[in-house]
Amino acid sequence: MVIMQIEQFRIAQFGPRLGTRMEGEQAREQLIALLRSLPDTGQVRISLEGIDVLSTSFADELIGKTLHPLTIGEFGERTMILETPALDLADGIDAKLTQRQLAMLCLTKDSWHLIGAQTSAMTETLGLIIEKGTTTAKELAGELGLQMNACVNRVARLAKLHLIRREQIGMSGPQAIYSLHSILTD
Amino acid sequence: MDQLTIETIDQIIEWIMVAKLDRLDLKSVRFADPYALLLLHLLILNREELGNPIDISWPQTPKVNRWMNAMGIAVNGSSMDAPSLRDLESTLQPITRIENESGIGSVVDGFHHRLADRYPLTESSRRALIAVMIELFQNIPHHSDATGTVADPHGIAAMQDYEDSIFLAVADKGIGLSASLGLRDGYGGLSDAGALDVVFHQGVSRFDDPGRGGELQRIADLVRSWDGVFALRTGRALYYFDSRGGDVYDVPAFPGVQLGLRLPRRVLI
Repeated sequence: MVIMQIEQFRIAQFGPRLGTRMEGEQAREQLIALLRSLPDTGQVRISLEGIDVLSTSFADELIGKTLHPLTIGEFGERTMILETPALDLADGIDAKLTQRQLAMLCLTKDSWHLIGAQTSAMTETLGLIIEKGTTTAKELAGELGLQMNACVNRVARLAKLHLIRREQIGMSGPQAIYSLHSILTD
Repeated sequence: MDQLTIETIDQIIEWIMVAKLDRLDLKSVRFADPYALLLLHLLILNREELGNPIDISWPQTPKVNRWMNAMGIAVNGSSMDAPSLRDLESTLQPITRIENESGIGSVVDGFHHRLADRYPLTESSRRALIAVMIELFQNIPHHSDATGTVADPHGIAAMQDYEDSIFLAVADKGIGLSASLGLRDGYGGLSDAGALDVVFHQGVSRFDDPGRGGELQRIADLVRSWDGVFALRTGRALYYFDSRGGDVYDVPAFPGVQLGLRLPRRVLI
């Protein structure tokens, strides 16, 4: 079990009504600095608490443009999660992540949501991993009634988007075997 | 002409830009909306810059005359004094310049406060309107002089409320959508109508970045969902729709991009 360092990034520090791409770009510099300051498995929880309006442009500059390098490994195994008091505040982020073919976990008071580019298969698989905390592709395939290859593909997509964390625990022939971890429960 | 509106302003542009008339008779105008007002403002400015100002006979209806004054149009030859406090109070948001991206936050705050002072908007509609303003206003510094060839794209915005609607207008006399999109590989040489098509059907912007573009498309969808009126004019083309439908129409050429949104009050309050 990896102990994960979690830091919060409050967007409201930049003002309650945001904003332009220029404002988003300035905020992104601070978000990236925070990400880089964390250990390789660290997590930033971006909070919308105190935000009145968040434009799609600001959302794209701050979150879309940070999530993209995160998903191609520029920030190691680090993850980002959105926290919001109301789901509609995240509409602009949802729109821009969809446009960029990215997705992100979003926490409201009572539940988690997947925002951005998503499919029911992704949400179903992610939900099961979150429920279990830690699992394997073999276990998931059994519970979801999937062929192993189909399940591995789903898991690979979630891992690429940094929506789950994978840890190699062995090999099966030429294939790596991973334990799969929810990024909400580490 | 007794109406100076989204539906009639192109007739005036035809007279001034195509027929090159030097006189404009607005004496009979009994109603004007912010979209037409912004276009008239840019038309006057355009002719002044060309050294050939238009000789305008301003509306004789006192209410319209005062409203135009209060909105920031210098109604020359008017018998009226400076706008009274009552006129200023009935004016929701006079013509405001939008110059650079760093000033947009305070412009939006100003529009927001004027609106919030007058109406108890629902939270969701208030947030949506502010987000719309941010996106529309920042389009001016991002796109109106993207080629660096326009001395003054003159971005402006104004807003007025009516018994049944709130009307937001944003305009510039910059390079227009077609020239802006032309900066991107594969989008050169588009007609104005073609530019409207790729903006509203493909969400394309001049930036080759998957996160850019789509804002005007989203705003149009929002206005449609609210049964509002949407008009976006660029060059020789106008995309217009209301609750009964809409289309792209040919209009007389005018530089830049001009946009009008008429939003039913019943969906906002």
